[in-house]
Amino acid sequence: MSYITSYNTAFPQFIIADKVLHPKAGENTRTVAYTDEDIMTLAYAAACKLSSNIDAILFATTTPIFKERYHASYLADLLNIPEGITALDLGTTTRCGTDALMLANHWVDSGAYNNVLVVAADVEFPAIGKELLTSFGHAAVALIVSKEKGLAEVSDISSYSAAIAEEFQYKKNIIQYDARFARTAGFKDNIKLILKSMNADSIDSIMLNGNYSKLAHGMMKKAGFDMEKQFISNDLITRIGNTGSTHALLRIVQAIQDDRGSFALIDYANGSNVINICVTKSDTKSIVEEVQHKTLINHYQDFLAVRKRGKFESLGYEKLDLFSSEMMQEREKNQFIHLKGFECESCNTVYFLKAARCNKCKATSFKEKQLSRRGTIYSLTAEFYFPNTFPPTNMIIIDLETGGRLTVQQTDDMYQNEKSKLKIGDKVGLVLRKMMENDAKPNYFWKCVKV
Amino acid sequence: MNKKRDIAIIGIGVTKFGELFEQSFDDLVREASIQAIDDAGIVMDEIQGAWLSTAFPEIGVFKGRSGMDLSEPLNLYDIPVTRVSNFCASGADAIRNAANALNAHECDVAMAVGVEKLRDRSSQDSIVKMMVELTHPFYQKGFTAAGTFAVYANRIMHEYGVTKEDIAGVSVKNHGHGILNDNAHRRMSCSLEQVMGSPMVADPLTVMDSCPTTDGAACLIMVRAEDVDKQKHKPIYIHGLGLSISTGWDLPFFDPEHDFLSFKATQNAARIAYEQAGITKPMDEIDLVELHDCFSIVELLTYEDLGLCGVGEAKDLIRGDVTKLGGETPVNVSGGLLSCGHPVGATGVRMVVEVCHHLRGTAGERQVEGAKTGVTHNIGGPGAIASVIVLKNEQ
Repeated sequence: MSYITSYNTAFPQFIIADKVLHPKAGENTRTVAYTDEDIMTLAYAAACKLSSNIDAILFATTTPIFKERYHASYLADLLNIPEGITALDLGTTTRCGTDALMLANHWVDSGAYNNVLVVAADVEFPAIGKELLTSFGHAAVALIVSKEKGLAEVSDISSYSAAIAEEFQYKKNIIQYDARFARTAGFKDNIKLILKSMNADSIDSIMLNGNYSKLAHGMMKKAGFDMEKQFISNDLITRIGNTGSTHALLRIVQAIQDDRGSFALIDYANGSNVINICVTKSDTKSIVEEVQHKTLINHYQDFLAVRKRGKFESLGYEKLDLFSSEMMQEREKNQFIHLKGFECESCNTVYFLKAARCNKCKATSFKEKQLSRRGTIYSLTAEFYFPNTFPPTNMIIIDLETGGRLTVQQTDDMYQNEKSKLKIGDKVGLVLRKMMENDAKPNYFWKCVKV
Repeated sequence: MNKKRDIAIIGIGVTKFGELFEQSFDDLVREASIQAIDDAGIVMDEIQGAWLSTAFPEIGVFKGRSGMDLSEPLNLYDIPVTRVSNFCASGADAIRNAANALNAHECDVAMAVGVEKLRDRSSQDSIVKMMVELTHPFYQKGFTAAGTFAVYANRIMHEYGVTKEDIAGVSVKNHGHGILNDNAHRRMSCSLEQVMGSPMVADPLTVMDSCPTTDGAACLIMVRAEDVDKQKHKPIYIHGLGLSISTGWDLPFFDPEHDFLSFKATQNAARIAYEQAGITKPMDEIDLVELHDCFSIVELLTYEDLGLCGVGEAKDLIRGDVTKLGGETPVNVSGGLLSCGHPVGATGVRMVVEVCHHLRGTAGERQVEGAKTGVTHNIGGPGAIASVIVLKNEQ
């Protein structure tokens, strides 16, 4: 047994409606990562507010950006968690989000760890022209699993294996079984196995994360569930799409937000994880409300540009090869990533860059200062000659709330409209994003968005 | 210690500025140098020390990385030759180094050459690409040179009520002057509407608010004032020369004290040069100014920093045609960087050549009548380095 003590979600600023992908499609929307977002930036956005006293990290994704490198360790570094904690990746199927929760629960229950950060993030773009065939969506979610009582109690996690996966990749080939065979030999058999050990009377409600909800509906009804009252439908999928490994965890978060009481989540993908959860404390946040404020992508062409499948060019640049240095990033990560500045001990002026003497009073003693991620615009410009998928590149000079000044690019500014347009005096927030659009190396730094 | 310089310029040379596809780096060095040597009435072997100003050798074929790139095209060996690099103030700094060597009696005849060959690459492949690809991966990433000055423009518009028309007015004025200069790169008149309607580079600065990418070279032959032969030379005297680095390449964008309303480097350089030259009322005592209008906003800011007007009053000078040829203190009658173009290492030397012509009375159609005192100004980096030189036609 363990508790989910806190959580945070991260969605891109942009969503696309099915009707933009095809004029005859409906109004459902999916979240779409911007040009400078990936699973790491989304995972960071979700986890950065939860990073205290963590002794283990589990990172779940089906869309890894690294091979031969732990995403969990990289994220720990970005979060300024000291080296040496346990940090592991889980992947392969979309069930890996609840795999991570299951493992975290066991670790905490056994006393091996006190506070486990479970992070799931996925950014999967389907093949061009086939966007409507898979309900993709991009998101990250982070949960702290702990022994301390919190928002929800996690108990009785079981995992049921199955040999059949409806669709999988083998050496980069996408393999799909016959649909009827997959339903019967895979899903149906697996759910039957699960329902044998479930008692409809002891659970307030039930939630299925996976395909075949119509089929599951009938099977659960037969097993004694009152589906009108007890079945929690997957209404997130029409708003954010199927966000892969994050989706089951997002549905747990939504159940906490909706104060669902006790419920069982069946997370089906090439077998099932069944998690019994009891919400112990309600929460006022709402994923549904959060997604309502996102920006709709207007054209399919814009969507292609966001995923950099359109021609990436700006004034003659087809490919960028920006200077990047692993040595520099490791040496200066306290400053670049963790935003540690320097405060003059004499006049308290705060600097982002180090110098031997204070520029204001010439004193020579400084102490480290944690810089804030919010500030006010001092000046700005829109650069039309800097290569960008969506020019211009807005450059923003920001006076931070803690003191200190930073100059960064604006992001999420695909459309230069009232929602994104900035002026002197506006409040902005800093977000960690990729600096190199050609994805040649991981290269994360701060950009700003309007708040 | 801030003493009067007592240095005389006895020879001047300048090439045409422009897209000089038919001329190499070496060709430009030879043309400007030989002009100046001939103008001084000396032979090359009389030169005892030389300084080469280049800012961006890596943009061309790595020509200009050391003094030997001046020696080689001139066959000028067995003397000290030093390359000077200080961004857009490189040319002025070459002059400063030559003057210092003369004052120190390290040599008796010194040469300062500024040269830059930027157009062996396409304009997008030169300075812009360098800013995009080679600079720090995070600091200022997203800026081109125009953007680093556009943030000044937006702040000054916010603080002092400067308008886009005021900024564009600088471009209209300087392009108007440039028509009179055979050596200018962009010889064309333009209206406010054309400047403001040209493609945006970094809001609010347009293409016509920005100097072009240019090839060119200029050269000075200098001696101590006491060594001037008045029968032979038409000397112009350096009365003041100040250079100051007052912030860093990245610092302005990360320093909460930086107000983006003025260039402290210019103020410091001007204070040093004016003090040496005994100038206390710049507007009354200076007859013409060649200043660093790499982007038109810089000219407005520099009016204030050079003391040609009070804080927040620069817009009144441009609105009142005070700095136009025929006005009270003409500024950039050569056409400035906006019209002449900006071969970075050459610009500071080219400006001194221009002022020398006016002080000699040989500036032709654009002559500032009766000019006795002229000032040149350069600013380099994002307003970090500045130089100011005060020149007079009398010792």
